[in-house]
Amino acid sequence: MSLVVKPNFPDYQTAPVQRGFNPYADNGGSVVAIAGDDFVIIGADTRLSAGFSIYTREQNKLFPLSSTTVLGCSGCWCDTLTLTRILKSRMQMYQQEHNKTMSTTACAQMLSTMLYYKRFFPYYISNVLVGLDNDGKGVVYSYDPIGHCEKRTHRAGGSAGALLQPLLDNQIGKKNMLNVKEEPVSQQRALSIIKDVFISAAERDIYTGDSILINIITKDGIKEETFQLRKD
Amino acid sequence: MFLTRSEYDRGVNTFSPEGRLFQVEYAIEAIKLGSTAIGISTSQGVVLAVEKRITSQLMEPTTIEKIVEVDKHIGCAVSGLIADSRTMIDRARIECQNHWFVYNENMTVESCAQAVSNLAIQFGDSDDDGAAMSRPFGVAILFAGIDEKGPQLYHMDPSGTFVQFDAKAIGSGSEGAQQSLQEVYHKSMTLEEATTSALTILKQVMEEKLNSSNVEVMTMTPDKLFHMFSKDQVEEALTRGLLVEHPVTLTVGQKA
Repeated sequence: MSLVVKPNFPDYQTAPVQRGFNPYADNGGSVVAIAGDDFVIIGADTRLSAGFSIYTREQNKLFPLSSTTVLGCSGCWCDTLTLTRILKSRMQMYQQEHNKTMSTTACAQMLSTMLYYKRFFPYYISNVLVGLDNDGKGVVYSYDPIGHCEKRTHRAGGSAGALLQPLLDNQIGKKNMLNVKEEPVSQQRALSIIKDVFISAAERDIYTGDSILINIITKDGIKEETFQLRKD
Repeated sequence: MFLTRSEYDRGVNTFSPEGRLFQVEYAIEAIKLGSTAIGISTSQGVVLAVEKRITSQLMEPTTIEKIVEVDKHIGCAVSGLIADSRTMIDRARIECQNHWFVYNENMTVESCAQAVSNLAIQFGDSDDDGAAMSRPFGVAILFAGIDEKGPQLYHMDPSGTFVQFDAKAIGSGSEGAQQSLQEVYHKSMTLEEATTSALTILKQVMEEKLNSSNVEVMTMTPDKLFHMFSKDQVEEALTRGLLVEHPVTLTVGQKA
């Protein structure tokens, strides 16, 4: 049996104090995009929030990068501001360097590399890039925060992304249904589906609501539209 | 031109009182010592043909490389100081690959020429990028490529100036060859015609007799892109071209 008594000097026994710094904020928000044969529609809610408080009910989260390309962002709003400003300048630099406007496909790849270059301090944004490709077809690209890029026909991202994606898979992708006929989605149907899914999201997700801003991209340009959601 | 030569031809960063940079002008003169290279752009594609100077029987001709692939859709012919050209070709290749990496698309021929031109004028005092070239590059380059604008030919000289051409000759026989190109070229030229014309003109400005081992030929077409002629293909092009008499009587210019 040990008779050694451990001395007790409280001043010298304090464990190192750990202070945390969290550089990220989750400001919520959802983005939904649907691509058609000659159009693409993207919608984002306009609520900007942090926890249980709402910063604003009218924040546009859609960023037109060219006449055929629009980016939708949700997540950390300060990262969104920085990323979209850099993107805007990259679009202009490309225009001046190569004497042409960057195509949606080129922009999609550039965004992927830009995100990956911040692999170890990522932009905390769920990005959905939409536009018309070189053949005038609608395309949707979705990203994870470190630059994984996937080309899709429909995509829901942001705080209600997990809630809405299966709904889109069913309604647009015609998944898990019997005897469905394959037909391209019309602009009108895509638009009404986007409004419907946002109504559903606003019911369940407190970070999605207030209203939605919709961009409809066709060869004639970008048309804007708004739609009111519940504001509680 | 050189009557006014003075102290102002020493530094690469000093203008002469007449507003000239002599070292750059001398670099352009250096091209005129190089082997002749000819490029012709047609609606079907672009052809490049260069002479290889075989200075010794014991030399291995295939190790002289004056037409190189920059990317699948861009090829280059160089004339002048070949060692200098390696640096520029390297830059062109890097820029093309970087463009593909970032944008997932082929770099345009013009942008590629622009990128190399940026390197060409980085001589003189070194800047933030580290050590710069102490003198201008002694190379002229013909860029032959295909992008969304179709087949294109660009010429760049040591001053970094780049201009698009329908047909262009560089190197020692360039003056005579350019004259001949002007007479021969027409908008509806086929690629085969262009290849034949390029070889015919090359033959006329070359000191040595033209054969399949002292000439390099490359075509850039929408379906095959960069295509270097094999020895057999060069031979075939030579027999095809030289058996048929050329429609235009060519005036041969100076020989180096």
